[in-house]
Amino acid sequence: MNDTLISQAAGEDRPRQMYVLEETGFKEVPKKFRRFYRKWGGPMDTLAPNEVLCPVCKIVIRSLQELRAGDKVYCMPCMSRLIVEEEDGMLVAKVNY
Amino acid sequence: MAEWQDPHALTEGEFLDEVHSFEFWFGAVEGYLHDRPYGYDPETEDIEMDDRRKDGLITTLCNYCVGETAALEASSGMIGFAPDRASQIFLSTQVADEGRHLEVLLHRLTMLGVRDPKREIEARANRSLLRFKERLLEFVDGHDWEAAVFAQNVILECLEFTVFRNHAQNADPITKQILQGIVIDERRHMGFGENDLGRRLILAPHMHDRLDRIKRELDSLVLTTFKQTLGELGLEGDDAPDLASDYLGAVARLGFGT
Repeated sequence: MNDTLISQAAGEDRPRQMYVLEETGFKEVPKKFRRFYRKWGGPMDTLAPNEVLCPVCKIVIRSLQELRAGDKVYCMPCMSRLIVEEEDGMLVAKVNY
Repeated sequence: MAEWQDPHALTEGEFLDEVHSFEFWFGAVEGYLHDRPYGYDPETEDIEMDDRRKDGLITTLCNYCVGETAALEASSGMIGFAPDRASQIFLSTQVADEGRHLEVLLHRLTMLGVRDPKREIEARANRSLLRFKERLLEFVDGHDWEAAVFAQNVILECLEFTVFRNHAQNADPITKQILQGIVIDERRHMGFGENDLGRRLILAPHMHDRLDRIKRELDSLVLTTFKQTLGELGLEGDDAPDLASDYLGAVARLGFGT
């Protein structure tokens, strides 16, 4: 998913990239939350820096900002609270009960 | 009122109140069920099926009805001994979902020419699934919250989620839409179960051994049923989907071995 990137800088301590989220056609949560989620296209689907896959229900969770390890996100379609972690150089979401 | 709201900015308490609410449920189901009486777009044309395919689909749908009836009876019973208001309210939305699932599946059976669905379900019901239902309702009758949530919202819902999702990919257009709508509901049900039990196991780790015994007793009953279902649908051999994958992922996250 290519949302509009509204700020970017280089370097280790660079500020996070910020995004304007577009509607993706996802309709499984109330309207006001829909742009924060999208359907996963399977193993060939590439996640953007502001996206992470829910391990419980396989929906892509989207954020207004680039995600980093330690971030907290919510999966509304399956009601899970998740923590973003780095694993093998990739960001993954782990359920935080 | 703002057009959108960032869910990730909610506090954990606000998030849990939101997703367990009837308001959330209304807003969610409106998105994917509006203008879909009996779970599908009425403009969709049904396809011709040969007798063998139709018979396999009828058997499959009859067993889905057994699973949905089990979940309907169990979730409605669980409201009476749910541990808090949010769980009671969530379960009331689950009851509505399960009742709808049963209704749309029965409607599909009549579309396929089944004149007496009740009798057909009794004749075609898988014994393993009936045994699972019996045990689930025993947990409910005994007001055993953890066992009931584990059996229903983790074991049954996870396996239904996987089976329905895979079946939808190979189904006729009407059955496909019906199953896709059910799968969206199942996301909430299985997520509720995993998260509720996950929180409880952290607070009371001694529950682990008892739930592990329940898992060992019950998961094979549901797995056996749904493996047979795949056979009835012709999804066998190397191309058969890995039914246990989502389920095993969920129980592994909860700390249970396979």
